[in-house]
This record gives sequence, structure tokens and C-alpha cells, in this order.
Amino acid sequence: MRVGQALLVLWAAFTAAYILLQAMPGDSILIKFQNPELGLSPQQIAEIRAYYDAGGYLHTVLGFLRGDFGYSVDTGTPVLERLAEGLPETAKLATAAFVLAVLLAVLIAFAASHSSRLRGVLLAVPSLFISVPAFWLGILLIQVFSFRLGLVPVIGGSEIQQLILPVLTLAVPISAPIAQVLARSLDQVFTQPFVPVVAAKGASRSWILWRHVARNALPPTLTVAGLTFGELIAGSVVTETVFGRNGVGRLTEQAVNAQDTPVLLAVVVLAATVFVLVNLLVDLVFPVLDPRLAR
Amino acid sequence: MSSTRPAVFSVAMLAVVGLLSSCGGGTGSAAGAKAADGKPVYGGTLTYLEHQPPTCLYLPAAGFYPNGGVLNQITDKLTWQNPETLKIEPWIATKWQVNDDATEYTFHLRDGVTFSDGSPLDAAAVAANFDVYGKGDEKLKLPPAEFVNNYERSEVVDQKTVKFFFDKPSPGFLQGTSVIGAGLVSKKTIGLPYEEQCQLKNVIGSGPFTLAKQIVDKEIDLQARKDYNWAPPSSKHQGRAYLDLIKIIVTPEDNVRVGALTSGQADYVRYVQAYDEQTVKGAGFTVKAEPTRGVNNGLYLRPGNSILKDVKVRKALQKGTNAKEVVDTLFTENYPQATSVLSHLAQGYVDLSKELVYDLDGANKLLDEAGWTRGADGTREKGGVKLQLGVFVAGPQPLSKQTLELVAQQWGKLGIKLEIRPADAGTMAVDIKDAEKTAVSHSMVGRADQDVIKSQFHSKNRDVILSTDKKLDTLLEEQSALADVGRRNAKVGEIQRYLIEQGYAIPLFEEPQVYGVAPYVQGVAFEAVARPSFYSVWLNK
Repeated sequence: MRVGQALLVLWAAFTAAYILLQAMPGDSILIKFQNPELGLSPQQIAEIRAYYDAGGYLHTVLGFLRGDFGYSVDTGTPVLERLAEGLPETAKLATAAFVLAVLLAVLIAFAASHSSRLRGVLLAVPSLFISVPAFWLGILLIQVFSFRLGLVPVIGGSEIQQLILPVLTLAVPISAPIAQVLARSLDQVFTQPFVPVVAAKGASRSWILWRHVARNALPPTLTVAGLTFGELIAGSVVTETVFGRNGVGRLTEQAVNAQDTPVLLAVVVLAATVFVLVNLLVDLVFPVLDPRLAR
Repeated sequence: MSSTRPAVFSVAMLAVVGLLSSCGGGTGSAAGAKAADGKPVYGGTLTYLEHQPPTCLYLPAAGFYPNGGVLNQITDKLTWQNPETLKIEPWIATKWQVNDDATEYTFHLRDGVTFSDGSPLDAAAVAANFDVYGKGDEKLKLPPAEFVNNYERSEVVDQKTVKFFFDKPSPGFLQGTSVIGAGLVSKKTIGLPYEEQCQLKNVIGSGPFTLAKQIVDKEIDLQARKDYNWAPPSSKHQGRAYLDLIKIIVTPEDNVRVGALTSGQADYVRYVQAYDEQTVKGAGFTVKAEPTRGVNNGLYLRPGNSILKDVKVRKALQKGTNAKEVVDTLFTENYPQATSVLSHLAQGYVDLSKELVYDLDGANKLLDEAGWTRGADGTREKGGVKLQLGVFVAGPQPLSKQTLELVAQQWGKLGIKLEIRPADAGTMAVDIKDAEKTAVSHSMVGRADQDVIKSQFHSKNRDVILSTDKKLDTLLEEQSALADVGRRNAKVGEIQRYLIEQGYAIPLFEEPQVYGVAPYVQGVAFEAVARPSFYSVWLNK
């Protein structure tokens, strides 16, 4: 049942992308070969197009089912090769950013729940974070931490050094919705009747927070965290472009510019697969956290 | 309460970030540089930041600057054009003979030159290269090169001698053998289909550097070829390159390139925007603005458009465009105001600044005469049609959008609406060839030969004006076939005059390529059209 739904989502994403790409003006072959230096006649371009012609929707679907994503028109390399190059880079970036985002969110939400003095300030932080454009934040971090303070190089540098600023750039906007939902659910759980009962038994506030409230506040947060995966993918397009990292995000940006249909279709299917899998995982974890859901 | 501290810290950090970002302008410490009096040293790595990733590296497509920046290091050419004198000097060809009507060229090749795969650079390899550059190859999908005209065939006389035949005079061919796109590649490379020649790993040249590592669209590492020993004889430096390694890193963000340079993370960057020049200089770095010696950055008007088919309207646009204001407002002294269709450093240039005087009243008068009257909103109309023209922002041209916006304001005073469209690749690829939708083209082209004007305007070349003018094509072809330099230059002068008279061209400025260079980088050099040559570069650190 769940698997069927997932496949339906994948097919819908693929088909929508396919139709939209067909509807756009121009195509990758025209974009690539209209370079005036090459001086190709429209007739020559038509010949090249015939050579590249993917063979229509059904052909493309069948190719994807067999794991054959075709060739990038822009670079002439197999799409699979380009994805294989980009995917580990993006996976590193996205995973690290997600972990950092969760840490940031937990810090903000728990601190707000703890301290009544700083509460107002802390609860304003997520709104600030979410309204910061990743593009601007990336440039700002580079200017300050790399160019002015010289703490991390953006050109060259070790792999870890190359990850620090992009991870921060990507994590900040993603931590915001998680922090907001977590803080709100913590508040909600605190108003539930079992809290005064536990307190009456002599538990301290932090004992209650960590042992009882946190656990009950987790499910909604997890749902939001799962949804932010979509933002991670979108955010990596901007982040990778600003930092010049060659991951799937940058590949997407270039493929969009070149209307490189085979690459874009593969990226859409990849993103949809990841999204579906993560949300499937979230659904599976729910009953573990809350036994009532298992029944 | 242990968990509050990191949160407080992160808030404090944000505040610091905010503070720091508001106080700009701190000068980076210019890495302790000395004057260029030292003796060159071997070794070291140069980090070079490129604005865009290279595209297809098939040699005739090398004109795109990111491509040329790589190919200029890994390939050699038959001849070398001295960028100072523009004279053609020996390189891989030690000498040559040209017959009187420029239909037969014989080149004698240097001994002992090899490609980096070990194969010899001999007459057969050179012939194979120019057969493709001259005629293209249908089967391999290789288009011919724009710098070879009237090519017929090659003949391998002996191992060290190659002869080329042309069916019409081709006086531009000698210079054509020196251009970036005429880089020589191994017989194996030139025999590959287009898609494969596009990929850097398949481009095997004989140049002073070879490919060490490539991360597609991100980084290209070039290493010095230890046995390289065939620099142009007039080069002071001979033997292998000084540098060990060049790291070419694609850095699309303008302020990241400039910041990386001034903070010491990069040594050499391409494409410093006009508004960043002061930052670079202020930090003690050098701004190198290299002329491109070709058709100027300008607006090119298409006679196939139903409004622009009237020469009076084209002339009005020309008179009503204030190029001086464009240069003064947006650019620096490195962007000299245009005085003709060609740069003043181009071959065959004539000064037409008298015909290019800004004249608002004259422009308005011409439009009145042409029957375009001002409507209620100030925009001129004729027979219910508004005087509205479309143009695309030109990605490769510096500050194209800002330039067009300023011109749109100037044309607004004439009652003309210029519709500026962003360069979305798909729409542009379709509409750029449609004079009705794209009435104006913002472009330039660099090449240090008279033929550059043909590249830009001939209906079979770039054809920026989508020419419908048979006379213009004839003039361009005549120029291309004149063997005598004096007569050829006179013809190029005639063409420039014709383009201005007909209102096909609104020259704006002579477009340079602008580089930022750290003070310890010595031996910086360029080919005739401003692509960097790293062969003689050394680091005085």
C-alpha cells in the first residue's frame, strides 16, 4: 500500500517534469548549438537533433525503469556518471547540514523552554533564520569568516574546511521550522495534566522536560524534519552555486540553464525518491515513539 | 542550565556577524610584494579563478574565454601573433611562403615537437587539423572554423612541410593560424567525433601544460610539461614553464572571486567587474585590462525588423544613444568610448567619431520625418504600432543589463521603448534569430585580424544583424579576399563607414578583458585577444 503510493508519487513527479520541460521554449540542442562561433545552419542543427532524439515519453520511462537515464546533451556524458559524481558531495553537505539544523533547533527550543528571561529573544530566532535568504547568508559568511577573519579558506582547503561554511549556510534556514514546531509542542505538552502529577511526585523541571515532555513533543517535530528534506534539496542548489561545489544542486542549476532534459528528469526522480523514502521512514518511526499509534 | 549557553553563543555570534558585515572597506594586507627585478624561479602553484566553467573544448569553439583560458595553455599554434606589434611570427612553423594571390601557403615545421601523448607534431598532423578547421567533417559532426576562409585542401609535401590550397584568395589565413581556435591537436584527437572533442580529457595538444586533474565544472589542474621546448622563438623564456601547477577553479560569484584574490586565497582572477576595480587596486593588487582588438561592444540593429527596416529609424537610434554617458556612468577608463565599429587597436580601423556624435534633436527630427509621432504615453506610434524594440541581456558582456537599462532611458527621451529581456537560454535560443522579437543585439567579438568584421556581420557567420543586405555581404567577402594589406585595410575602412551610415551599428565602448593579479605574480602575458598565457608566469613569493 505505502509502496504503491510512493511509486505513484514518483511517476507523477516524473511525468509533470517531462511535460513542463517539453512545454518550455527552445531546447537543449538549440541552446548548445546556436553558439554563433560554430555557425551551424538550422538544417545542421536539425540533423544533430535527430541524432539525440530521445524517442519520446514511453521510451524515456522504459529507460528509467531499466536504470538507463540517457546522456546529458550539454556535456555529452552519461547522466548516471554526472549524478554519481555529484551525489556524494550533496549527500555530505545535506547530511551535515541536517544534523546541524536539528542541533540548532533543539538548542533553541529547549533553551526557550528553560529560560523565561531569554524566551522572547530565543523564540524570535527561528523567524529571523527563516527570513534570511541562503544566497545572502552564504556570501556574508564567506566575506566575514573567510575574507575578513581568514578562519576558513573558500578556495582550496581541506574537505572539512570546504564544508564548514556551506553547511552553516544550509543549516540555518532549515533549523527554523524544526525549532518553531519543537518549541510549540514542548509548550503544549507542558500544559497536559500529567505534568503537574509528575511534578507533584517531586521531579525537577529539567527531569520533566527531558524524560517526559521531550518524548511527547517529538512526533510533530519529526514530521516537520522529514518535510524539510525538500528544502535541503532546494537549498543545496543555491548553496552549491554560491560556494562553487559540484554537487547535484549545482548540476541542477546548470541543467536548468541549458534545459538539459535528461539530467533534469533524473534529478527530479532522485529528489522525489529521497523525499518519499525519508517520509516513509518518518512514518515507520512514529509507532516506536508513540505506542498508541501502533494499535 | 547547561543548554542555554550554546544558544546564547549563537545569538551573540549572529550579532557579531551583523556588526562585522556593516563595517566594510578594511584593506586586506597586500601580500608582501617586491618589484619585478628578481630572477624567475621555477615551481609553485598558481590559483586562477575563472568566472564560468568551460563549455565545449573543440578548438574552433575556443573563443569563449573560459575555454580559451584552458586551451591557450595546452595547445601551440603554427604561428605566433605578437600582441604588441600584431605581426605574425614563427612558432611551430619556422618559416612559410605565400603565393602572390594568397591561394597557396607552405609551412615548414619545427623539428622534434611532440604532442603530450608522444605522437609527433608533423606535417600529417597539421594537415589533419586544418582539413577539419577549413571544411569541417560531416561524419564526425565537426563544424568548420570561422577563422579559415575559402579552404580547398592540404598537401603533405614531406614530414616537415605542409601546403594548403584555397579556391579563392585567403589573405586572413596566416593570421588565422595564430588564433586561439587554431591550436594544434594530435591526429587522434582531431579524428574524434564532436562530442568527444568537446571533452577536455580528449584534447591532446603540444602546449607547455597538460591536464592533471579535472572535476567537471569545478576545477581543472594543469601541470607543466617537463620536456616542453618549443616556445615561440621570440619569447624570452624557453624550455619548460616556470610554474609546476595551475589550479583553475570555477568561481561564479563576482565578489567571491575578488574577495578570494584580495584575501590571498587566489593569485589571479578573470572578470573583475568595473565597480570592483577600485577594491582590487586599493588592496595593492593589479588590475590588468587587456584590449580585445575587434568589433566593439555595441548595439547592432537588425534591418529585417519591421520597424528597423527604415534607415531613418536606425540612424535616429544611433544619434540618440549617448555612449559617453554609458562609459562614464557604468565603466572605468579601461573601457574606452568607441570611435568606430572596430576598436582603435584593430587592423583597418578608421576614426569615425565625427559621425558618432550624440545628437538628441537630430534623432527626434529623423523620427518625426519617418512618420513616428508621440502618443499619449510619450511613446512614438505609427499606424497604431508602438515604437517598441526587444533586446536580450547578453550574458558574456560586462554589465549588459545595466548598459541596456541606461540606453533604454536614453531612448525613452526619443519616445522609443526598449524592452529588455533576461537571457533565459531557451527563449533566447529561439528568439535571438527572430528580428521581429529581437530587433537589437548587444554583442562584440574579438580577433586581431581584418576578418573580425566579417565574423560579426556576414550572413553566413555570426550575423548579429541577421543581414538582409547583399551589398554588405559582398563588401565583407571582397575584404576577405584582398591579398594586399593596404587595399584590404582600405576596404575594412569602407565597411566601417557603411555600417555606421546604414545605422546597423551603435558602437558603445572597446571591451577589455579585465583580470585581477596578485603583486607577486610575475611574467603575466596574454595572447593578442586577451586570453592569459601562463607559460612565462612565475611566483615571486
